[in-house]
Amino acid sequence: MKSLVLKNLSKTYFDPYAGSQVTAIRDVSLSVAPGEFVSLVGPSGCGKTTILNMIAGFLPASGGEILVDGNPVRGPGADRGVVFQSFALFPWKTVLENVAFGPKMRGVARAQREAIAREFLELAGLSQAADRYPNELSGGMQQRVGVVRALANHPDVLLMDEPFASVDAQTRMTLQEELTRIWQERRTTVLFITHDVAEAVFLANRVVVLSKGLVMTEIDVPLEHPRRWDAMMEDERFKALSALVLQKVRAA
Amino acid sequence: MNAALRLWNLRVWGPYMRATARWPALRSIVPFLPLLALWWAVAAAEVFPRAFFPGPAEVVGAFFTLTYKGILPEYLFDSVTRLAVGAAVGVALGIPLGLLVGLNRGAHTALWPILLFFQAIGDIAWLPILLIWFGFGLTTMTFVIVYTVLFPIVLNTVLGVRSIPIDLHRAARSLGASPARVVWEVVLPGSLPNIVTGLRNGLGYGWRALIAAEIIVGTSGIGFLMFDARRAGSVVEIMLGMIVLGILWYIVDAWVLAPIERATGQRWGMVQRQ
Repeated sequence: MKSLVLKNLSKTYFDPYAGSQVTAIRDVSLSVAPGEFVSLVGPSGCGKTTILNMIAGFLPASGGEILVDGNPVRGPGADRGVVFQSFALFPWKTVLENVAFGPKMRGVARAQREAIAREFLELAGLSQAADRYPNELSGGMQQRVGVVRALANHPDVLLMDEPFASVDAQTRMTLQEELTRIWQERRTTVLFITHDVAEAVFLANRVVVLSKGLVMTEIDVPLEHPRRWDAMMEDERFKALSALVLQKVRAA
Repeated sequence: MNAALRLWNLRVWGPYMRATARWPALRSIVPFLPLLALWWAVAAAEVFPRAFFPGPAEVVGAFFTLTYKGILPEYLFDSVTRLAVGAAVGVALGIPLGLLVGLNRGAHTALWPILLFFQAIGDIAWLPILLIWFGFGLTTMTFVIVYTVLFPIVLNTVLGVRSIPIDLHRAARSLGASPARVVWEVVLPGSLPNIVTGLRNGLGYGWRALIAAEIIVGTSGIGFLMFDARRAGSVVEIMLGMIVLGILWYIVDAWVLAPIERATGQRWGMVQRQ
């Protein structure tokens, strides 16, 4: 459970077709406390994914600083777990081997890392699927694997890039509820990227609205975890917060 | 018409499917039976002089004679060994080269045009110059096979490496894999289905190039057997050589390459089953 701090982060890149520099991220400062769940929401093209890719170390920042537990980020590393929209499971590895991949890279012995993987599969209700290949699972099951694969490596910060955008609506609600439960149990620091306002409010302690490469506003979500959709849909505070966030995103 | 179809399904197709399910080898043999029957009929009718167009019985006879004399096993062994050595060297050179060109932008820029250029100079187009350099020998033949096997493997490996989604690289890195381990854990298995395709094409081309080289270089092997038979005017032995080529390739494909494909790309859902 570590903190994540962005200081005056910016990203410009050269567009070879336009023949000019393009600014994707103008100036973003953001602080995520240890164990906090922050949703980053904004219209498409606002730079959400670019920010996540820089934090993960997939893209170099053009300016500013990224600190995880006070240490500057240089390239990808196991301290920042990532859950991808595309799931990004290794098709040639079984579910168990996928989840055991992080511990394997840390040099954990086979028996031990498989025990770790089984424990985390249990957490997501996936014990039955341990020996199957990803292509044999539904989209919802695959992303459950994606989430526990990242968690099984005990990252300081969990980065989630629209992880539930490509599963069906019912499964998405279930996965969101499971995520609030797992987060409540494990209290990992999470930065969750989404364009879905209700999802952002449902999951987070705090919603950050991004617009044109800048932080537009931050809204606290003082609702207790774990959360359930049937209760939330009736909850006046949830409705009011969602309406407020939606208003900001539309203005973005 | 409908009744005939039902009868066919009931009496022929159904039992055939059940039989092949029990003895899968039948699936490889049965389709050849009509062809064999036609061959036998044409030969027996003596449409062409028997010495020009012998029937199955003569070819089987030649098979036993040459096997008994030890010529066929020896030549077969020579050809298969040459192909195996060529394929092994081709794989050992081709996969690392393919990984390099697929992963490294500089290597791709520098080597890709050269690879395409030399790929176009097909196998036996090298023979004239090789015969001058190395003479009628094993070096020439090995060169031709390695050359032929190499390019399909390199080009398909490059394709495989480049078709791996970037998120898989990123996932591995953010789970703590070093760049070197990403090559072993992600790039190699991720491009394996393409590598197998390359191997399949490479062996197919290599096999043909080998026979051509044996015909021209000619010291031993199935290609030499056929060319030698031409000198003796023995159509039976030429036909035998052709049939051996077909059967051998069928075995390599069905017993070696197809099982690899089933165990890898198809199992992982990266290649569609046919």
